[in-house]
Amino acid sequence: MSPSETATTVTRPLPARPSAGRHAVALFASELHLVFGRARTWVTLAVLAGVPVLVGVAIRLSGSEGGTEGFIGQVAGNGFFLIVASLALSLPFFLPTAVTVVSGESLAGEASLGTLRNMLTAPAGRSRLLAAKMVALAVFCLTATMVIWLSGLIAGVVLFPVGDVVLLSGTTVSLADGLLRAFGIAILIALSLLGLAGIGLFVSSLTSTPLAAMAATFGAFIVLGILGAIPQIDVIHPWLLMYGWTSFADLLRDPPYWDAIVRNLWIQAAYLAVFYAAAWARLTSRDING
Amino acid sequence: MPVVTRGLTKRFRGGQVAVDAIDLEVPAGSIFGFLGPNGSGKTTTIRMLLGLITPTSGSVQLLGEPMPKAQLSVLPRVGALVEGPAFYPFWTGQANLLRFDAADRTADPRTRKARAGEALERVGLSNASGKKVRAYSLGMRQRLAIAVALMQRRELLVLDEPTNGLDPQGTREVRNLIRELAGDGTTIFTSTHLLAEVEQLCTHAAVMSRGRIVRQSTMADLRSELRPRLVVRTPDPQQAEKTLTSLGLTDVRRQDDVVEGDPGELPIDKLAAALVAADVRIHAFGLQHPSLEDAFVALTGEGFDVAE
Amino acid sequence: MGVAQRSRRWLVPVTAVAVVAGVGALGPVVADASPDLPGITAQDLLAKVQTAKVDGLSGTVTSSTDLGLPALPGMAPEANQFLDLLTGDHTARVAFAGPDKARVSVLDDMAERVLTTDGKTAWVYDSSRREAAKINLPARPAKPEVAPEKETYDPQAAAKKFLAAIDPSTKVEVSGTESVAGRDAYKLRLIPRTDKTTVGSVTLAVDSKTWIPLQVTVMPRTGKDPAVQLGFSSVSFDVPAASTFAFTPPKGVKVTEKTVPAAPDKQVTPPATPKKSTPTKPERSGRDHPTVIGQGWDSVVMVRGQVPVAGNGPLDQLLAKAPTVHGSWGSGKVLTTKMVSALITDDGRIFIGLVTPDTLQAAAAKAPR
Repeated sequence: MSPSETATTVTRPLPARPSAGRHAVALFASELHLVFGRARTWVTLAVLAGVPVLVGVAIRLSGSEGGTEGFIGQVAGNGFFLIVASLALSLPFFLPTAVTVVSGESLAGEASLGTLRNMLTAPAGRSRLLAAKMVALAVFCLTATMVIWLSGLIAGVVLFPVGDVVLLSGTTVSLADGLLRAFGIAILIALSLLGLAGIGLFVSSLTSTPLAAMAATFGAFIVLGILGAIPQIDVIHPWLLMYGWTSFADLLRDPPYWDAIVRNLWIQAAYLAVFYAAAWARLTSRDING
Repeated sequence: MPVVTRGLTKRFRGGQVAVDAIDLEVPAGSIFGFLGPNGSGKTTTIRMLLGLITPTSGSVQLLGEPMPKAQLSVLPRVGALVEGPAFYPFWTGQANLLRFDAADRTADPRTRKARAGEALERVGLSNASGKKVRAYSLGMRQRLAIAVALMQRRELLVLDEPTNGLDPQGTREVRNLIRELAGDGTTIFTSTHLLAEVEQLCTHAAVMSRGRIVRQSTMADLRSELRPRLVVRTPDPQQAEKTLTSLGLTDVRRQDDVVEGDPGELPIDKLAAALVAADVRIHAFGLQHPSLEDAFVALTGEGFDVAE
Repeated sequence: MGVAQRSRRWLVPVTAVAVVAGVGALGPVVADASPDLPGITAQDLLAKVQTAKVDGLSGTVTSSTDLGLPALPGMAPEANQFLDLLTGDHTARVAFAGPDKARVSVLDDMAERVLTTDGKTAWVYDSSRREAAKINLPARPAKPEVAPEKETYDPQAAAKKFLAAIDPSTKVEVSGTESVAGRDAYKLRLIPRTDKTTVGSVTLAVDSKTWIPLQVTVMPRTGKDPAVQLGFSSVSFDVPAASTFAFTPPKGVKVTEKTVPAAPDKQVTPPATPKKSTPTKPERSGRDHPTVIGQGWDSVVMVRGQVPVAGNGPLDQLLAKAPTVHGSWGSGKVLTTKMVSALITDDGRIFIGLVTPDTLQAAAAKAPR
């Protein structure tokens, strides 16, 4: 059998391929499946759902009325505040940890399994794969805060009386209005996590070890937190990732105070843009040896 | 030609040259054996072909289009298995297939499940399709990796050590599958360090050693160059050596009771007669065809499985 | 794609950093571009300011204070709740409707402090403590001197105080224009003629239409960053609805009620703007009739018997580190920041002022024992 005999013969015609881009959504759906099709993700979400339950039960058992300042102190009087208090409590640690784990895993996990090369030869396209990863991360952030919102609502209704909501400004609004605002808070907190998600995605693009990516991302988060606690460098504080994280509470003013919220969203967008671009530069120029 | 490289070179950051200016030409419809000891640069070359790593210099043309520039339009027509099977262990075999297929935007989602079923059947994994890959043996993973490449009709299959980890039965099945696919007109580019595989399977071969292509030709040409040697076992080796040399054999060597040499175009029956005439007692007489292994060692200067 | 092309990809994130930094750094500059306004003399501007009157306004006020010290020693301890308003950055919503309706909401982190009055009743509400205080005001206030807190946050009140301090010791000039809260404003700059004070300049941004001061900036003699900046970040001169100033205590909130006349607002009086207008401040907040030594920029306030008690940790540390000085007046410790200096004598007197330490010692020499 010599090569020239078989050179150009294709015995079966290849089926016509649909034009490129027709089924571009499938990758994004598959990414969501990858993130949410894992037991680890569900454990994480279950832990987050447990925050309002634990907080609520603790308050219920201790029976403390008043004394405590802030949202926590209002839970016993109105279960609605369990939603806000749980979101506020989850923001400094639980949610960033969850985002760190999922974002650190995103690219480094594929690299360590070797599936990254399968994805790229499929071909997913490096830029598109990165976009799909980021979209899945954003959906995870939103899901995480929504889980707390929902769990807080259920636990709040079960454990405490629920009624009209007193805003920070001292104005009283209906429960429906309050729930809508809490919903808005959940969205704002999810958006507040995007900067961190961007950092995680970038770090994840640097390594083939998911644990290293998670540790480095969480390390960056801790460092940013420490920088934010050093008064001598307060000039840079407004530019730190977490500076505007508590601005979500401005939704509970009458009327809502948007300036700090918008500023925080810009900060998140800036961090996301920089680190997403860096992740893009890294992934599209990286040699996939794993 | 489905695969053409020109001066393809990869120098790693440490300065080590893994692939050194290679020119590959894989003809359409061929089963192209890419042979070389471990560490000779085969996998690095395959990664460059598929756009996974960027060449330091040189060019790659896949199905007539430049890589990695045209990868999004070319790679859907190429099935690939690179350096061992890689899957999401927490997913079933079928789920893994669906994901890699979903990554290809030209793949039709409506037929995805059906195609996955066909591919799994073709590699004999239908019964294990619902099992998590974590529970698969290495051989099963290898088959699943081939199934990924079979999710679509491909014009080119790039297979890196496709029979690695398979038992003899599985190896035979995979080779038959490759022949079958080649029969359908798919060009197969398969790397291996198993000479037997190349001998049984391939129409063409390239031999790589220390980052360079030391030989590239059709198997027929390669075989024809392996010249048979005349081997004589005799209690009179000195006499035999003398006679054979005088008859015009070249490269005559003697060791113990064996004398051998290159007969060239000399008719073999006459040689036997001449030896008998010279009173050489013959215990054994015949032509010995050298194996591909001998050729391989001659080309690469090293044995199998020798890492650099 | 060669190595060069690959490294070129990193230009994208580098550009992203540059754009973000550019927007962050240059954005405010662009927004603060000097508007074109017809020229005006300082005298005319001062006159306009003093006669300026609006029926109402509402807006957001931000303050940023950097006196260089975490706490001001010698300050009345009960003012602690408001002490924080004098340090760091704060935002407040203010509303005003003449002559006696006002509302100030200090937007704290995840909390809010509200002070509102409709002229007859004043409410103080603290969301974090969930406490409200109702204060029944005298039927006819002697002066329309409404909410005490308003003096901290209403640029109009703050600016007027500065104008009161203007005398020959101060150079007054119109130093250009700027845009504040989206409005075109003249900058009126006051520069002390003495070098005994730590104040470099005080600048008012005066709205070119209503002649209301929109912003006050106090610059120290050394350094480029303002010691105090207080001004509107947004403002509207529409008269706010009367409901703005009403307050209904929410359910579950502890309400205390007081009826005044006798100086009821002492508890909630902030130590009014000590960083800006030295001479007036201690006279109002001190309990021991502080003595003012000197006048104008280099005036120094003397208070007796307010030596900080032991147990006030940070302050003790501060004093332990402070250098000891001696003079004809005795000996004591000197505390200085870039704006405020204090001299605490061993015999229990405290001298404080926006002046250099030398000026404090000179004042101490002149002071009555």
